[in-house]
Amino acid sequence: MKKLLIAVLLPVIMAILLPGCQGKRPEPGSVAGYDEGEQYLSIWVHSIEDTDEGRCYRESVDNFNEKYNGKYFADIEFIPRNDSGGGYSDKINASVMSGDLPDVLTVDGPNIAAYAANGIIQPLAELEEDEKGEYLQSIIEQGTYNNQLYALGAMESSVGLYYNKDILKEAGIEVPDAGHPWTRTEFLDILEKLKPVMEEKNGYALDMTFPTGEATIYYYAPFFWADGGDFVDETGLVAEGIFNSEKNAGTVGYFKTLLDKGYMSKVPIDHLFESGRAAFKFDGAWEVNTIYNSYPDINLGVAPYVTGDSWSGERYTPTGSWAYAASSKTDNIEGATELVKWMSGVESGLLLWEKAKNFPSTYKAFEAIDTFQTDENYSMLYKQLSDYGHPRPKTPVYPQVSTSFQQVLENCVLSGAEPEAELGKSIERINAKLKRYKVQ
Amino acid sequence: MKKKRDSVLGMAFFGPALVLLIIFLFLPMILTLIFSFTDFFALNPGLTHFTGLDNFFQIFKDEDFRKAFINTVCFVVIIVPLQGLGSLGLALLVNKVSHCKRYFKVAFFLPVVMSLAVVSTLWVQIYSPEGILNSVLSNFGIPAQPFINSASQALPSIAVMSAWQGVGYQMIIFLGGLQAINPALYEAADMDHATAWQKFKDITLPELKPLCIFVFITITIGAFRMLVQPMVMTGGGPSHSTYTMVYDIYETGTVNWEIGLASTMAIVFAVFVMILTVIQTVATRDKEEGNVNKKTKKK
Repeated sequence: MKKLLIAVLLPVIMAILLPGCQGKRPEPGSVAGYDEGEQYLSIWVHSIEDTDEGRCYRESVDNFNEKYNGKYFADIEFIPRNDSGGGYSDKINASVMSGDLPDVLTVDGPNIAAYAANGIIQPLAELEEDEKGEYLQSIIEQGTYNNQLYALGAMESSVGLYYNKDILKEAGIEVPDAGHPWTRTEFLDILEKLKPVMEEKNGYALDMTFPTGEATIYYYAPFFWADGGDFVDETGLVAEGIFNSEKNAGTVGYFKTLLDKGYMSKVPIDHLFESGRAAFKFDGAWEVNTIYNSYPDINLGVAPYVTGDSWSGERYTPTGSWAYAASSKTDNIEGATELVKWMSGVESGLLLWEKAKNFPSTYKAFEAIDTFQTDENYSMLYKQLSDYGHPRPKTPVYPQVSTSFQQVLENCVLSGAEPEAELGKSIERINAKLKRYKVQ
Repeated sequence: MKKKRDSVLGMAFFGPALVLLIIFLFLPMILTLIFSFTDFFALNPGLTHFTGLDNFFQIFKDEDFRKAFINTVCFVVIIVPLQGLGSLGLALLVNKVSHCKRYFKVAFFLPVVMSLAVVSTLWVQIYSPEGILNSVLSNFGIPAQPFINSASQALPSIAVMSAWQGVGYQMIIFLGGLQAINPALYEAADMDHATAWQKFKDITLPELKPLCIFVFITITIGAFRMLVQPMVMTGGGPSHSTYTMVYDIYETGTVNWEIGLASTMAIVFAVFVMILTVIQTVATRDKEEGNVNKKTKKK
């Protein structure tokens, strides 16, 4: 009976397990375009091929293979990622265990620190100063952990303070230039002025929500940075006294004022800004394209992001997106770095803008795109990015920091909890997660 | 000889299923149990240590986990009677109607075949501050309700939606049960001039009892596993009011990469559901026996 069981089970087990052993590098000729003498580089991206973004990645890899024909061959694999971040990251987690990581992979900007601290990615080969200088400062900062460059952004992004030009004109409000943003106290006065105007329109001065997930910290962290607050220290390993600082508690209180004074709705109302019932909205840079294409009746403007009362020109506006990094498993760091540079470089950036309207990560690409010179909204976002872009907190426990930030704002602003107490609770959770890195 | 041939044939049929079960069910279950005693971290599996019962102490100290536990229990307490009695009521009604019976059956069953993610997205619109439900309420002079945007209303709102989505399935089961009841019982009751309530109480309910147990247990287990609705509709908010145990397990494991901790949560969750199911089965069985005894005594 035992023999019989083995006889039946063995072929089935083999059939299931054998395809899993394909982690080995393919031989030249076994993949179309991979010729004898070329160095093979595998690359994973967090997208499906049949999207504008996916097609751009495919085209960039094809261009790389053409340019480096005879030297390198990059083989791209598309791994879909769902909205909550699963899928792609599950595959990475599984590959960390099995040791099947590719040479190059995409990493979401805020996760770079965690991936670097846990040895999933390795520092890129040394870049020339002028090569580094091609990238926006925010891209270099995002990719740097412990003073070493680990990743280069596939694209860049930002959050704009969008306004309805017609409504502001009606209320007689002038928008300042990028170098002189409204301070948050000035912004309260503006909102107060807009309140009666918006009440007539059955709307609110500000379309603001605190969605779960990554959006809340991405949208509103500048309020904290611009007022001298922060979330973790430079090492990314200390949050005590920083995340729960008095300054941060004060900024949380500021958001509470926005609700208490009736400048924003307590419950999220769909398309409040897009339907002309809100004067301002904070949203990702994609909003410009959405408004242009889907809400042509809205006369859109981008104001400089609101800053702190004692701000003196420091970097504070949101940045960050997916980036390319070399995995710790690659033994060809030179080749992997070349591929990372190419995929994040000028040509790839131009492609991504053209097809998917994603912002590029190099100055040259921004300057080569007409829209960023001619369209005032896009040029404002570019100026904000290049002059004031600030990376999100660089810490290996970023997911906990991001979740805590959202909870603090939601609990304090919408449910009336005390900022100090909520920040205190968060710090306990963040510290619990940091323990792992302090032991190392 | 025949016996041997039969067992080979049996194994050939059973073997592939067994292999798949071992790889995708039993092995992960054993691994989860092992991981629950470690600090397994997805990004750095090499640094895994055996931590004994640390994880268990940690999760019970964790406010989020306790909140998720309470939310899940509240959800179960709301949805089990709602969906259980709702499906029984619908089955009785559909069984009674003489016209368009098939239409009603299909209409009530339709949400079951729809994807839960699609249904959830649809209900986000229905529950939105300026959505259809608030428009209807305003016609009756009731002020707009925040529904899923309020910490106190979000969980009941999701429970109502989930009951609406799932009720058709249990209705079909009850309908099958109703149609299997011997009509002679009702005829006899009619001869005794029994009222409709008496017929329901003394014939329909006792006849459906085994089905009731099955239905209530499946609803309970299904409700404990709630994940898609809060994920799509509220992201676990507002203020963690719709954060469930499975959601916590998912986030701990995939977003925070703490596989060890997530495994501990999964073990605690599984044990809890198992205990509850056993209690439910035993309690309902006792009642059944009690009823039988009562009936015999009466006789």
